[in-house]
Amino acid sequence: MTLRPASEPRPPTAIRLAQVQAQLARIVVGKDAPLRLALACLLARGHLLIEDIPGVGKSTLAQALAATLGLKYSRIQFTSDLLPADVLGVSIYDERNQAFRFHPGPIFSAVVLADEINRAPPKTQSALLEAMEERQVSLDGQTRRLPDPFFVIATQNPIEQIGAYPLPESQLDRFLMAIELGYPDPAAERELLVGGDRRAHLGELPPLADAATLADWQREVTEIHVAPALLDYVQALLAASRGHGSDGGDASFGESGTRRGLSPRAGLMLLNAARAHALIAARPMALPEDVQAVFPAVAGHRLAGGTRAGAAQAQALLRAVALP
Amino acid sequence: MLARRSRWAGRTAPSTRTLGTRELRWLGVLLVAAQLPQAPHLPIWVAVAGLALVLVRVAILRTDPWRPQAPPARIPSWTLAVFAIAAAIAVRQTFGYFVGRDPSVAFLYILVAIKYLETRTARDATLLVCLACFLLMTPFFYSQSLVAALAALPAVVLIGVALDVLAHAQSIATRTFQPGVALRRSAVLMLQGLPLAFLLFVFFPRLAQPLWGLPTDWIARSGLSDSMSPGQISELSLSDEVAFRVEFDGAVPSARDRYWRGPVFARFDGRTWSGMPFGVPDRSTPSDGAIVSYTVTLEPNERRSLFALELPAAPPVLQSGSASGRDVKAIITRDRQVLLSTPVTQALRYTQRSHLAASYPAASPNEGRLLLGLGEGNPRTIAFARALRREVPDDHAFIAAILSKFRDENFVYTLTPPFYDRDPVDLFVFEERRGFCEHYASAFALMLRAAGIPARVVTGYQGGATNRDYMIVRQSDAHAWTEALLDGRWTRFDPTAAVAPSRVEIGLGGALRAGEPLPFLARLDGTWLTRVQLAWDAFNYDWRRNVIGFNRERQRTLWNDWKLDPYAPWQIVLLVAGLAGTWAALVVGGLMWKRRKQERALVLWDGLNRRLARAGLPRHPYEGPIAFAHRAAARWPQFAIAFTAIGESFAALRYGDVPAPREREALLATLKRAIEVLPPPGTLRGAS
Repeated sequence: MTLRPASEPRPPTAIRLAQVQAQLARIVVGKDAPLRLALACLLARGHLLIEDIPGVGKSTLAQALAATLGLKYSRIQFTSDLLPADVLGVSIYDERNQAFRFHPGPIFSAVVLADEINRAPPKTQSALLEAMEERQVSLDGQTRRLPDPFFVIATQNPIEQIGAYPLPESQLDRFLMAIELGYPDPAAERELLVGGDRRAHLGELPPLADAATLADWQREVTEIHVAPALLDYVQALLAASRGHGSDGGDASFGESGTRRGLSPRAGLMLLNAARAHALIAARPMALPEDVQAVFPAVAGHRLAGGTRAGAAQAQALLRAVALP
Repeated sequence: MLARRSRWAGRTAPSTRTLGTRELRWLGVLLVAAQLPQAPHLPIWVAVAGLALVLVRVAILRTDPWRPQAPPARIPSWTLAVFAIAAAIAVRQTFGYFVGRDPSVAFLYILVAIKYLETRTARDATLLVCLACFLLMTPFFYSQSLVAALAALPAVVLIGVALDVLAHAQSIATRTFQPGVALRRSAVLMLQGLPLAFLLFVFFPRLAQPLWGLPTDWIARSGLSDSMSPGQISELSLSDEVAFRVEFDGAVPSARDRYWRGPVFARFDGRTWSGMPFGVPDRSTPSDGAIVSYTVTLEPNERRSLFALELPAAPPVLQSGSASGRDVKAIITRDRQVLLSTPVTQALRYTQRSHLAASYPAASPNEGRLLLGLGEGNPRTIAFARALRREVPDDHAFIAAILSKFRDENFVYTLTPPFYDRDPVDLFVFEERRGFCEHYASAFALMLRAAGIPARVVTGYQGGATNRDYMIVRQSDAHAWTEALLDGRWTRFDPTAAVAPSRVEIGLGGALRAGEPLPFLARLDGTWLTRVQLAWDAFNYDWRRNVIGFNRERQRTLWNDWKLDPYAPWQIVLLVAGLAGTWAALVVGGLMWKRRKQERALVLWDGLNRRLARAGLPRHPYEGPIAFAHRAAARWPQFAIAFTAIGESFAALRYGDVPAPREREALLATLKRAIEVLPPPGTLRGAS
């Protein structure tokens, strides 16, 4: 038998990723699917947006991820008076050296938790989002590279929108995935109640990787094979998201309910996310199952009507498009 | 009321379906491709206007960003009528008449573009594709060359794409349309159709006469004309156009013997030489000189003259290509011209036999009496000739004296002689002394006539270039020489040869001085460009010989060679049906085999899906292989191993990177064996 995926010894990457997942699952209980998506998002070199109410473990997830992967973590609590300099850093005149010295902001960390991003004014939001996109910060005419890997987990509270600045759709596009954590199921909740606050254990987590290893994994993601048949499927999904009138490509503004179809870049991101998901699943190639697993998270916030409605729409799209 | 309305809507839906931007764009591409081959044959404004109308429509197709829901823009209908009427009037003005081939083609060309301007529905589009097909045929009214055939090729492929786009639009559910794929598909279909086209080309019975004549308008063609005045042939000599091509049966005569005789002119008015109004047939055959036999393929020139080496022994055997079919006859006149009964409007092939002789007996002793006219003017030449005649009474010595005058007195052979307006021969002989062959032939004939020796001018071609197994004679080989009646025999004299012997020996390029304008090809003699041009000509000639020239006789000959009886149609029908059937079987079989080979995994997978559906577990259309295998394993845990193997091997085959054939085979074997493990659907259904 030469069953490739089955007979080959599971690649070490996959084993280590499984260990990472297991360790994360001990901290964030009962959230296997969001955890896997978050990990895939990180492996695909994207950024993650979590839309959820407070207290479901968003920052715990970010901290656990940073600790498990041995990465530097920082947290920015976004408020309505937060200034770009508070995020990026600031140059201060040093009397002793007679020169300006740059004090890097909290963004110069491998894992950044931008909490309640919709509380900050747009100027600050866009400072963060630009840094996310460019992976560098330009200040005082000097360009400073952000660490690599660089992973932003932003959260926003979908319910309390009074006095908030919701992210415009074009800014949402910078996030590879948008997910919800949701309430834990009864069994997980019971475990939480019995086991106490998981944050207490955060300090004891042994790092299972480091920045260099993560970079290796991210490279491995790009080597996951994508067959023409899978590209056909992805293209069919994209076309379906655009709503296809008689003239296909131009009908992105068609009347079939979707106001906004997925862009070619979204397609590329979808493919990357599917690759990362395949790596986590220990497969040398991406399958339609991988695409389907990441599709609601990748497409949801790009389709109209907010993340939640978008994800439902994405699920409907998945059911409507047959495998070619 | 409602029911009636819905039924009405249902019936008309497909044809009145509004086209999308992309379909309209592809139709535009098709139309441009169909227009381009025709464009060079049209007046420039027609060509530009037709293309511009199509491009205007394509340009306004861009979706309005402010009203994205609006249908693609189009021009209001009433303007189209204005366009059409304006086009009709303009075409009538340009050509001077309307009912005829050229204006009709021009009008069709514009009309198709106007139709495109108003095209909105699928029915319009279908009509437009048909019109494009028709438009695509029109360039062949003008030229059936290889270039014309190749120029039509892109549009033929695009017709396939346009139909593909139109057909696609109705069922465009989830698939995205890819132009590259459609183009390739269309091209493959054309290639697959080639054997069938070849079969019909060889076996579809040719008619002796076409069902409808090729419409002809009068076209000015370059070539030798019905008269000769100074400057005419030198103009012709700058043209690289092919006059005719020749294949010799046997040795090719030397260049100095290759005088291709054409129109003969006996009348002179002081400036222009013209022919006798009647061509009397003559059956006498000159008997001296070596016989050569050859086949000429004459380019259409709208004239009746055929060309033959001096001297034609018998009327030519016509092979093919003349426009009017079987009633065409060729004769040899008394002055040894070969004449056709109708103008040559299509390439004509004829086999000709000639004696290589520079002189032949006159038909009657009195023939010469009519050929002494001197025309008006040119007094100095006439006086000079008469004076010389008094000194040199002997005919031969007189002729030699005139030729030596041309040779010794600094006469120049040039393609750009000055324009001689009055007394052209006088001016040429005594003032300028610069002339081309027609000046020399004309002056020489006039001097002979002034001395009482009957003479006439013969035009035709001299020389020709060998290319592979045949010879090309171009317009630049056009030549004029003189015939004189001496001792009861017409004898050829070429005064040009006295001035520029190399004109006859080598050709035009060798005879002219440096710095003279030359036909393009003569200038490039010996370079690679010439070789390329000659190779192309050979290719084109083969096309003309074997494709265009494949007429009824050649079809019959071919059938005879293959032992087919042309009078037993059932033989042909059976043979064609058999071959076409074989072809179809090969194509279809090949497709199936390829599909089997490539997608055996898919076939196995589809089979499994059908089986499990019958067993009560249909796969969701969107469900991936692993997910489905999971579901099946959950339903029938006793076969979990088989289902896992099926899911993983199929996933690897379809989505994996398995380039090695052996590995693929192994995976296929696994998939097959795992499927065989499963019991039949009925058993499975009960087993859960």
